[in-house]
Amino acid sequence: MAKVKIATDWLGGCAGCHMSVLDIDERIIGLLDAVEFTSSPVTDLKHPPKDGVTVGILEGAICNTRNIEVAKMMRERCQILVALGNCATFGNIPAMRNLVGTGEALKRAYVETESVVDGLIPASPELGIPVERVTGVDKVVKVDVFIPGCPPSADAIYFAFTELLAGRIPEFPPEYFKYD
Amino acid sequence: MEMVNLTINGRSVSAPSGSTILKAAKDVGIDIPTLCDHPSLTPIGACRMCTVEVEGQRTLVTACTFPVADNMVVQTESPRVVKARKLVLELLFSERNHICPSCESSGNCELQELGYRYGIDHWKYPAITKRFPIDATHRYMFLEHNRCVLCGRCERGCGELAANHTLGLGNRGSDSIINCDAMTPWGSSTCVSCGTCLQLCPTGAISDKRSAFMGRDTETERVKSTCNRCSIGCGIEVATRSNNVLRIEGDWEAVVNGGRLCENGRFAPLFESRKRITKPLVKTGDRQTEATWDKALSTAAELLGSVGGAEIGAVTTSDATNEALYLLSLIFRDNLKVSNVGMVNGAVPVLPGLPCGSLQDMLQSDIIIAAGVDPVSDQPVASFFVKRAVDLGARLILVDDKENELAPFASKKLGINEISTAADIAGEAASPFVLYGAGIAGDAMRALAKLGDKALFLALQPGVNTYAADALGFNNGFTPKSAKVLFAQIGEEGLTTGHMLAGIDDKTALIVQASYQSPLTQRADIVLPATIWSERKGSLTNSEGRVQKVNQAIKPQGEVKSDWEILSLLAETLTGKPPVTSLEELSTLAQQKITNKEI
Repeated sequence: MAKVKIATDWLGGCAGCHMSVLDIDERIIGLLDAVEFTSSPVTDLKHPPKDGVTVGILEGAICNTRNIEVAKMMRERCQILVALGNCATFGNIPAMRNLVGTGEALKRAYVETESVVDGLIPASPELGIPVERVTGVDKVVKVDVFIPGCPPSADAIYFAFTELLAGRIPEFPPEYFKYD
Repeated sequence: MEMVNLTINGRSVSAPSGSTILKAAKDVGIDIPTLCDHPSLTPIGACRMCTVEVEGQRTLVTACTFPVADNMVVQTESPRVVKARKLVLELLFSERNHICPSCESSGNCELQELGYRYGIDHWKYPAITKRFPIDATHRYMFLEHNRCVLCGRCERGCGELAANHTLGLGNRGSDSIINCDAMTPWGSSTCVSCGTCLQLCPTGAISDKRSAFMGRDTETERVKSTCNRCSIGCGIEVATRSNNVLRIEGDWEAVVNGGRLCENGRFAPLFESRKRITKPLVKTGDRQTEATWDKALSTAAELLGSVGGAEIGAVTTSDATNEALYLLSLIFRDNLKVSNVGMVNGAVPVLPGLPCGSLQDMLQSDIIIAAGVDPVSDQPVASFFVKRAVDLGARLILVDDKENELAPFASKKLGINEISTAADIAGEAASPFVLYGAGIAGDAMRALAKLGDKALFLALQPGVNTYAADALGFNNGFTPKSAKVLFAQIGEEGLTTGHMLAGIDDKTALIVQASYQSPLTQRADIVLPATIWSERKGSLTNSEGRVQKVNQAIKPQGEVKSDWEILSLLAETLTGKPPVTSLEELSTLAQQKITNKEI
């Protein structure tokens, strides 16, 4: 049987959810019999292959225009899109900047921070432009599976993989369903 | 009680008429989720989490407010109900900051639990991100409006349980916030720091400053015990982690206080700055040096054996447990034949033969006489009940010659010489309640006694365990003057005041059992270090004469021992055998003697 292709990527997050994917430990070896990780931030291939994957996984919140592009590309190239972790599902910690506003948050981070001298807010054309309101991934593309958690536990992630491989959309039992 | 029969989720259920659907379901183990409801508060049906489907009703109804009726058919988890609850949760999550990982209450949050229960895995509606201020002006707590769901539990607790009415709802619509005294900073408001709101808040909107971020419930241990700050004897629940006390909470199930506590009981014990004594001390020459328990106890026994019973004195504060008071009497009166045995402060003489009422009884009364007692400063939890009774329509007659903080709530204020007027007025009432204290004596009390056939009486004792001390015969005019050897059991009390030291002759040999350093312990020849409230076991007797258990929440510091344990060892050193074989035996003996007291 052909292996199920998986691609992962991250948006505005801390990489903790990807760490949690790696945290499934030796179970990943068994998993590799059934799946192929094509692209991810920890592989050489950074973008999901053009011919598509079955499962696309996104970590992180929508914080800037670059995040929107990445999310849209992943959506176009996968059949099932998984929002992994609290940032991808709710916006989480990055979304707390909504309480002060993006402009205010940038000023505090790049200009007013105590350790900064003559600070400047980055404005290089190659950078994404921060959005006014940070949101979960589902506010810009359709999401099929939400896995909350900060980060979701390795067990929750492994459970999601096994359920998806069995052809089911995972419904998480209470021990895997956490907001922190 | 009239019962009605209804069906909940296809199950036949009987419930008392007048009970709510929520109560009827709970009694048979059917769990209906709630958020704004709390068993100790009046239900208001504000949050709509408990909505259920009742056959024949046009809309879903709130189970917390809807009364049961005969033949009613209720569905608590039908698809329509679940859909409505999810909508309520989605709307709650769409306002303010409900991002769990940075919240103090994550893991102890009722909103979070509901999110889990109904599988809220993303937020359907874009969140309104209006920012609210944080009020951190209070000494003990902070109010994080961004985490608030406006359930109003804090506000109702402030009004219904503490009867203080500091908290209220301010502004309108999505701008609504909980506020103090119409938008006064919490720290400068009329708040009495009882912490009832803190204990009621279902989310991270009100948090304890001291224990914030120090561990969620799954990481802490909880021990029920009895507060030792005054003679009310409130039930407490002590939350600890790694042998540290994090928080003190009121025990909702406690008969005496029903969850209420005051500043002195909830917060003050955790802000103790006095220095502990952790090892026995024995004076050699002019200096106190650390000693073993054996050495300290044998030196104490030698001192006590060196003089006759007439030259020994024994005195205790009311902080001692029932068990310690019993042993103190046994050792000094029975073993050493000492008659100069007493306590530091006096007791309120309890009039014989009058029916004793509880604080809860006060809420059913129509007239309350408060005579010679100021619970606002001395027994705050009692004052919450007085003020609540006044809110419920009772009239308060204050009888006192001194300034009294209950005065603003009294409909009549009389001097102590006018007490029979108060008794006459109360005589006209259906169910009067008499609260009296150390401020009245003899004649004044006899004037109240004529209400004996209809009123309930409660004497608020001035000290923690004064009732037991009085029952065990410690209220007998002790004088330190004649003692050549004096044993002083002071526990946690800080006798820095002159009166105890003043009466002690310079040549008097002084044995002090205490928890904290004080001028008295510095002057002592032998210091026996005792446990504090969180470390000790035993029991206390409150103003009603109710004997309540004190349980150990954390392990004792250093080599300190419980007050009764020290006395038991002293008795063993003096007589060669231990006076009792176990704490249980001792507690039973003490309780028998206390409750057999003739009133």
